[in-house]
Amino acid sequence: MRVRMLRQSAVIAAIALGLFAAAAASAAAPSVDASIEPSQIEVGESARLTILTSGSGALSVTLPVVPGLEFRVVGQSRQIQMVNGATIESTSTIVRVTPEEAGVFTIPGVTPTSPPLVLRVNPSGGSGSSSLRGNGASPDQLPFVPGGSNTHGIRLTPDGSAFVQLEIPKHEIYVGESVPVEIQVGMRDGFVASINGLPKLNSSDFTLNNLSHQPERAPKAIDGKPFTVYTWRSVLAAVKPGNYSLTFETPLTVRIRTRPQRDSMLDDLLGDPFLQNIFGATVQKNVSVTSPEAPITVLPLPAQGRPPGFGGAVGTFKVSTDISSAKNIAGDPLTLRMHVTGAGNFDRVESPMLGNDGQWKTYEPKATFNSADPIGYRGEKVFEQPLIATQPGARTIPPLEFNYFDPGTRRYETARSAPLNVTVSPPADLAANAPPPANAAGAPVDESHGGLRPDHTVTETRVDSLIPPYFEPRFVGLSSVLALLFGGGWVALRRRERDARDTQRQRQRARSQLTQTLLAQMAAASTAGDAAGFLNAARSTLQQTLGARWEVAPEQITEALVEAQLEGDDKDDIRQIFALADEANYSGDDLQAADFERWTQIVGRRLGEETTA
Amino acid sequence: MNYPMISRRAPWAIFALAVFTFAGHAAQAQAQAQAQAQAGYSAPALYNLANAYARSGKPGLAILNYERARLLEPNDPDIDANSSHVRAAAGLPPQFRSRFERVAGFASPRILAWVGIIGLLTAGVGVLARQVYPRHRRKLLAMALVGIALVGMTIGSGIALWPIMHEAVVITQTAPVRVSPVPIEEPVFELPEATIVRMIEEHDGFVLIRTQAGRTGWAQRANVAPVVPKH
Repeated sequence: MRVRMLRQSAVIAAIALGLFAAAAASAAAPSVDASIEPSQIEVGESARLTILTSGSGALSVTLPVVPGLEFRVVGQSRQIQMVNGATIESTSTIVRVTPEEAGVFTIPGVTPTSPPLVLRVNPSGGSGSSSLRGNGASPDQLPFVPGGSNTHGIRLTPDGSAFVQLEIPKHEIYVGESVPVEIQVGMRDGFVASINGLPKLNSSDFTLNNLSHQPERAPKAIDGKPFTVYTWRSVLAAVKPGNYSLTFETPLTVRIRTRPQRDSMLDDLLGDPFLQNIFGATVQKNVSVTSPEAPITVLPLPAQGRPPGFGGAVGTFKVSTDISSAKNIAGDPLTLRMHVTGAGNFDRVESPMLGNDGQWKTYEPKATFNSADPIGYRGEKVFEQPLIATQPGARTIPPLEFNYFDPGTRRYETARSAPLNVTVSPPADLAANAPPPANAAGAPVDESHGGLRPDHTVTETRVDSLIPPYFEPRFVGLSSVLALLFGGGWVALRRRERDARDTQRQRQRARSQLTQTLLAQMAAASTAGDAAGFLNAARSTLQQTLGARWEVAPEQITEALVEAQLEGDDKDDIRQIFALADEANYSGDDLQAADFERWTQIVGRRLGEETTA
Repeated sequence: MNYPMISRRAPWAIFALAVFTFAGHAAQAQAQAQAQAQAGYSAPALYNLANAYARSGKPGLAILNYERARLLEPNDPDIDANSSHVRAAAGLPPQFRSRFERVAGFASPRILAWVGIIGLLTAGVGVLARQVYPRHRRKLLAMALVGIALVGMTIGSGIALWPIMHEAVVITQTAPVRVSPVPIEEPVFELPEATIVRMIEEHDGFVLIRTQAGRTGWAQRANVAPVVPKH
């Protein structure tokens, strides 16, 4: 009893809320849509009646009363959308319909203008119709559509979870014509798990080019139900004429609801499909959704009026040309560019460009396409052709033509560029009309092969490698050895010279010390009055000094040598010192104090002269 | 066509052209390099081969062989003229050679190598003799300076030719250049045929190149051929 009162309260509250929502909506006209799913069940199962109210204004919605059917509100959802500043509110009321017996039941519309719904209830465990009973409808009158429901030009799947739609701007095209198309795949939020592949065209008579790999994604409300619509863009082209029906197919994984449990309170709470998904009231299934057939007529290109140079380009195009430089030197290359812009099948846009004539030497053009959209339908194709002016003077590049078929005017068109003027001057080092430059041997240029100078006579002289010899290891090794030898020799010579200088310096130092010692001995002998010691020390001092000068050993300096080699005023005095020293060693003669001083001065003067020298 | 003349003069050139007819450019360049390495190199033969490629409409291989011929004969005006002609016909800018390069290339590197050896000997002997014979120091100093000048000419030639040792020529119609040496990456720019680039590094079938404009990137090794082949 208590449960029943709770159910009645819920029904009253839901209907009141629906009425309030309908009354509170603004701007849009109120509308009510009702659907029942599935439309065929067995006794013991339940169907789901969805009452969708959208728009604004007061609208009376009452639950239908059908003998043999029990209606119970199990859930309600409300959505508010802002479209171009207008508020659109939609309320979805989910009612569980439970049959009490088998038969065909007609459920009257929830509003006076709503169409009736039909529920077919089979006996439990069978699908026969012989025992069907109901409220008057016959099985032949069931409004069952296998392809699903058609709403707003969109054909949904039978469970209303997804749709595929082809948007094509025209249904009459020409062979080879490129038509931009959009393939939309709509998936109801919460009902479709994934898209398992790209949309596939079910026709071998058409080509689908440049299908975008990443579709655009946008939310969309269809009959108040939230959908996410994925849009692919591509270019469609027909390969042969005829009448065709185009369909696209997309593999999807959808969630299918399992049958509700009759007496489950949880089922009532999980009336919302999203909650049903969470709590495992659905299963996943791979399906393939197909778009409605789109009729299209492919016309052949007319043979009448077809220009000779027509290459199959269909569309709308414009042509312009430019040149890399309006002033040039004969023999230098120029680049002629032709720009073909517009919309159409650019893969068939070709041009031979400028042909060879007496004024220009031309080469094969190269083409590049710059697309202005992701599908390559609009853009610019640029042809670049190298040219060489063969003769100097004022030259004109003639207009370039491009033939195409315009599906708008339904006839062949010829686009022409403007002529281009180029001033070609003679080469700086050659007068106009001078013969071509000669090679080193004085031979003329080989005109038969594009201005190349002629071949050379091949000699037998060959080398093993192109590497310059001074980068080869053997050359580097040889140079290094030579450099080391010379460097080592130079260092050795320098060191020898330095050593010799050092030896001389040491000798001088030793001689100087010895001289000082001898001078000290002279001074001591002079003080002591030792004539022999004084004269011997004086002689030794002079031998050291003269020996260093004459580069002979001091012992070899004798009186005779002094007589022979020494020059100057002191020659006799020095010779006399040598003689007195010999005499003093044997005679023991003494010297006077003045003599000591005089011989000391002579020796000192001699030392000073040698030091100065 | 001038091929019979070539066949009399350089049989390996015809072999290379036959390979060119039936195989890709990379294989052709490799076969040509092997054939040339076996037969030896000469400036006239390389020049004639380049002419043959130019007449066949293959500017990349033509420029490659002109550059190789120029290594052996830097002052051949025919090589310069035909190379400039082919580059212009291919829509490439003229090749710029600095004054230093022109001066340093006044003689063949092979001659300059011997000049360098002679200069080294002259300078060395002059320096040593100057130590031994100090009475002739001035004359020997002049001799040493002459030798040093000869060595300087060789060093200058080496400096001028060193960049060419690392140059390569695009031998295919276009050479896509990528940021990294992986083939699946989108190219950042493309080099036209006969473009001369500098090779910096090699890695796994790719060459890190630098263009004369200073752009760098990885090109497939098969798209370029080094001016100085590695044996």
